[in-house]
Order: sequence, then structure tokens, then C-alpha cells
Amino acid sequence: MRYGRELKYGLHVIFHPFDGFWDLKREHRGSLAAALTFVALTIFLTTLEKQCTGFLFNEVRLKDVNVMVDILTVAILYVLWCVANWCLTSLMDGEGKMKDIFIATGYALVPMILIRLPMILLSLGITSQEGTFYYALSTLSYVWTAFLIFFGTMVTHQYSFGKTVLTCICTIVGMGIIMFIGLLFFNVIQQMITFVTTIYKELRF
Amino acid sequence: MRTEKNFLIRKLLPACLISASIFAAAGMDARAEVPYETYCYNYYSETVAQPHVYLYDSTLSFGGLEAGLKNPQDMFIKDGYIFIADTDNSRILKVTADGRPVMEIAYASSESDRLSKPQGVFVTDEGEIYVADSGNGRILKFNPAGKLLLAFGRPVTDLIDESVQYIPQKVVVDKDGRIYATAYGINMGLLEFDTEGVFQSFMGAAQVSVSPFEYIWKNYFSTKEQRARMATIVPTEYSNIFVDKDNFIYATIGNLSTADMMNGADAIRRLNPTGKDILRRLGHYPINGDQYRSEDGKWSSFTDVAATDYGCYFILDKANGKVFGYDYDGNSLFVFGRNGYREGNVQNAVAIGINDDASKLYILDYKLNSILVYKITEYGEHLLSALRLNDIGDSEGSINEWREVLRLNGNSEFAYTGLGKNFLAEGEYKKAMEYFKSGNNKKYYSKALYYRRKELMEKNFGKIMLVLAVLILIPLTLHYVKKIRKWAGKVKCAMEEN
Repeated sequence: MRYGRELKYGLHVIFHPFDGFWDLKREHRGSLAAALTFVALTIFLTTLEKQCTGFLFNEVRLKDVNVMVDILTVAILYVLWCVANWCLTSLMDGEGKMKDIFIATGYALVPMILIRLPMILLSLGITSQEGTFYYALSTLSYVWTAFLIFFGTMVTHQYSFGKTVLTCICTIVGMGIIMFIGLLFFNVIQQMITFVTTIYKELRF
Repeated sequence: MRTEKNFLIRKLLPACLISASIFAAAGMDARAEVPYETYCYNYYSETVAQPHVYLYDSTLSFGGLEAGLKNPQDMFIKDGYIFIADTDNSRILKVTADGRPVMEIAYASSESDRLSKPQGVFVTDEGEIYVADSGNGRILKFNPAGKLLLAFGRPVTDLIDESVQYIPQKVVVDKDGRIYATAYGINMGLLEFDTEGVFQSFMGAAQVSVSPFEYIWKNYFSTKEQRARMATIVPTEYSNIFVDKDNFIYATIGNLSTADMMNGADAIRRLNPTGKDILRRLGHYPINGDQYRSEDGKWSSFTDVAATDYGCYFILDKANGKVFGYDYDGNSLFVFGRNGYREGNVQNAVAIGINDDASKLYILDYKLNSILVYKITEYGEHLLSALRLNDIGDSEGSINEWREVLRLNGNSEFAYTGLGKNFLAEGEYKKAMEYFKSGNNKKYYSKALYYRRKELMEKNFGKIMLVLAVLILIPLTLHYVKKIRKWAGKVKCAMEEN
């Protein structure tokens, strides 16, 4: 039942971010398992949204939907954010451990899940003229999540407001750098493999 | 923004394959290796191959005349006769639909008063022939037998600079006898004359479009030399005009720039008598021809238009030798034709015309000096009659025709939309929604959804209210039960204490 309580604690976090993120870290009221559940649910909803949103609000072409891409997009962004944030905060006197960051970021995704699910249902029943409600909800879910990620970072590392802003900006830059290095690495490895296989083929024939 | 390379692969390959397979499947005429593709654009801006709407039938080349056509610039079709402005031979020809000459007009009032390079011809319902006698700078009106009734020259107005030569090019006359003309180098709109040929005003001036950025850059940030080298922003000129049965004037614009095309500028207008553009633009794309450049980098350039009585119009693109068909709402129906040297291709298309029931489509080519005749296919007949029946309100008939269209072309978005509209009108909202979804038409889907929702609400009002009541009442009751129990407990405690 502990797991259930940890999941339910997500509701507390999104409405009381300061208090919630504090207890998440210091009182161990959440867990990595629950955080990863939220990430999994976000992935599930991203896919569900693409396939089940009503015709009027669905800009995605069904033949272009690729579940693998959805999974990787969310998972990679999540991991990249956490890793980049950890790299940075360990240099900038952050108090959070890697695990704390993963948990806090995972809990910050809860509004995404809570808002997007009813949005899918709503999109089936409203006309284009009433689309404002739909788009307002969509914006709300993003803004709320961004807000939670921000305060999650602030509370987890015990930063001041200004320092958190700086950290967040640097984290985004860091994510870019990690991606760049990753791509570079894969490229070089690919070239090396091609080189070795070519030599092997040359020698063989 | 638009990937043209992909477009080629997407358009040409499937178009060839599919049109070939359609022919194989339908077992049509073996001669029919058609020298062009027919396609249309779908919701996603992709070209989708579709069955041919018009097939090349024959060429009227007038080789038998003492002198064939020479650089003809305009053509008008009326009651089974074709009137041709045979420009470089300085005459107007009237020929039958199969190309037999019936009448020739080469002189205005007398033998000494020859026409000079006429570029436009128009025939009214009464058979009166109007000619834009370009070389002589005048417009002429003949009776059906070819006798001159009226001639009028340069419009008397201060609005046209004295130094500008007056060369009328195209002329049309509406049902009330007002005469409209285009003239070379005049970009203030159409010239409007009254029945006596007295100049009235300019009509339907094309608007100048200058982006704010362009304006600021030009006026505040560029040097004098730069400004001088910049192309002056000039309003677009109308390339051709056509008057439909409702007295509205279709006017095409042929000289749009790449920027205009990318911004979705309109290349055709439908002007009401006050000069206001009333063309319906409900399609997914602006009405300016191909959404991509052709293989040799050319945008569509409209040169002529012909409209049916029920609001369908066919526009001729001189750049790529294509014909674009649009319905009343501005949805792209079909595109066919191409420039080339095979039989059925055009080289320099300049004018388009259709006969009364649109069963034949004529394209005048000034390089081939002949008229190419295209004949409607079974698919085309169903398509056009569906639109016609829809226009006159025969929804049952048009449902049947749309079904035929769908049978021949399951990709047809407008057929789904057409069927959907009929179902919507009949009150079958659920069905209408399905069809609009297949036709990718969000606007009408939203409309159908609105009525469907209303219908469901009315039908299930009792149930909905019941569910709502239960949802609200149960928690309320529970809440009060709790409260009362608490209160009872308190009372009990108090009593026990006493």
C-alpha cells in the first residue's frame, strides 16, 4: 500500500509545490517507482492523445504515428533533463542527489497526466468554436508542469529564485550539449565500424 | 517550406502508376496512353492521382483554310460555335464545333477599315460580337451577321496618362450591356464602359500588397541606389476576364511573383458589379494553381478562365499548360494537362472554353495555331453533374452522383464532403460526421457535430438530467447524513453529560 500512498502523494505535490517537494526529499514520501510510473503514464498519454483526440483537434496524421518515437521523445527528454540538471547542480552546490532529481521531475509531470486525459474526452464533444477551452487546458498543462519543474529544482537543491532561473537555463543548454556530444559519438563510432568492416572485406577478398 | 523534390517523387511516380493501373483495370480505350496526369490536392497538400476528367479528343488545326490561324490570342464559345481572335491575320473567325469556318470578320466599317491584331472576342446571348481591336486601340461591336454597330476608342479620362498607348486586350459584356475591358499596361482595374461605349470608371482594382517589413525597409533603411534598383511595387494586372450567368466577372491574374505565390495571394477574383471580390475560398489552399513549382521551376500563371452555370470554373495555366478545375466553394477538383510535344499536349496555351454542358473543353494554343479538344470522361460527368445537382438543390440526385464518383475514385475528398453536405441537409448528422471526417473537412464536421450533439441532448435529456442529479445528490446526501450523525452524537454526548 506504500506504493499507492506514494502515487497519491503526487496530488499533494502539484497543489502544494513547496511543501510537497520538501517532504518528497526530506520525508521520503515519494519514491522512484512512483516517479517512473508518472513518466510511463505521460508516455502512454502522449500516444493516446495522438490516436484518440477528436477529429477537430487532432493535427496528427494517423499514418505518421510511431509509438517508439513517442516513447523515446518523452523518455529521452526526461533523462536528459535529469542528467544535465544533476551535472550542473553538483557543481553549483545543489543539495539534491541524482535520485532526488529523478523523483522531483517525475512528480512534476502529474498535471500533464491529470489534464490531458479529460482533454481527450473533451475534444470528442466540442465544436471548433468552443476550441478555446481545449487550447486553454492544453496551455495550462504545459505551464503548470514547467512551473512544477522549476519549483521542484528550487526546493530540491535549496536554491534562491535567481539561482534556479540560471540553473534551468543552463540545464537546457546542457541538454543541447549532451545531445550534440551523443550524436558526435555515434557518428564517430559509425565511421570506425565502417572503416573496420571495409578493411575486413578488403583482406578477405 | 515546401519540399519540391519530394513532391516530384510523390506526384509523378504514383500518378503514373495509378493512372496506368486505373486504365488497365477499367479496360478503357487502348489508344489511351494519355500524355498527361490528372490529380488533385488533398488536405495535406499532397498531390493525389485520380481518374482522368477530360481526355484528349482531337485537334482543330484549320489547315484547310486559305490561311490557317496565326498567333490567335482569344477564343469564345457560344451556342456550338467557336469565335477566334486570329490576331496576326487580323480577323475574327466563326467556326463550328468541328472546325468548319462559317464567318470571317476582317473589316470594321468598310473595306479600307481593316481590323488590326485583335486580341479579344466576346459574343452576347443575342449574338452580338464584341472585338478588342488592339492594334487600332478601339473596341468594336458587330451584329450577328458581322455588320459594325458601334466603335469606341481610348477612354476619356485623366486617370490614364497621355503617354500610355491604349491597347485593349480582352473584352466582356454583362447581361445589362455594361462593357468591361482589360488594356495593356493599365493596372488600375478593368475599364468599364456603358452600352454606348462611354467610359464610366475603373472597376475591381487589384490591391497592392506590401508587407510592413517591405514598406519599412524600402522607406527608411535602404539607400537611394538600392531603392532605384528595387522592383517598384505595382498592382497586379488582370490577364483575362469572363462573365458568368449571374453577371459576375471572373478575372485572372497571371503575373504573381514567387513571394506572392508562397503567401497564397489570389490569382483569380470573382467581381460583383461594384467591383468587390466575392469568390468563395473555402478550400484548403489558395486558388493559385499548383502548390509547388513545376519540374522546370515555374509557378502556375493563370491566363484564362471558363465557368459553368453552377459555379464550377476551369482555369488555364499558361506556364505549365495545365487546367485547374475548382468548385463553387473553391475546392480543387482536378488538375490535368501539360506542356509538351506529344499529341494532346499544349505548347503555348492562351485561352480556354467549354461548351454549354461542359462535355467538351477547348484550349487555344497560339504556337500550335490550333484548338485542342478534350472530351469529358464518365468520371468527369459524374463529378460535374453531382456539383450541378447540388447547386439546383436536388440532393437525392447528387447523392447518387457522388456515390458514383466515390466508386471510381475512393480518394476523392470532395466526394466525401459532398455526400456529407447532403446528409447534413437531410438531418442525418452522424452519417454526415463520418463523411466529413473521410473528406478531411473540419469546418463542416464541426457544424455536423454541433447538430448531432444538440440532437443527442434533446433525445436523452431525461437520462442526462437523471445522471447529473444522481451524481450531485448522492455526495450531498452522504455529506448531510454525516453532519446529522455528528450532530446527533454531539447531542447524545451533551445529554449524557447532563
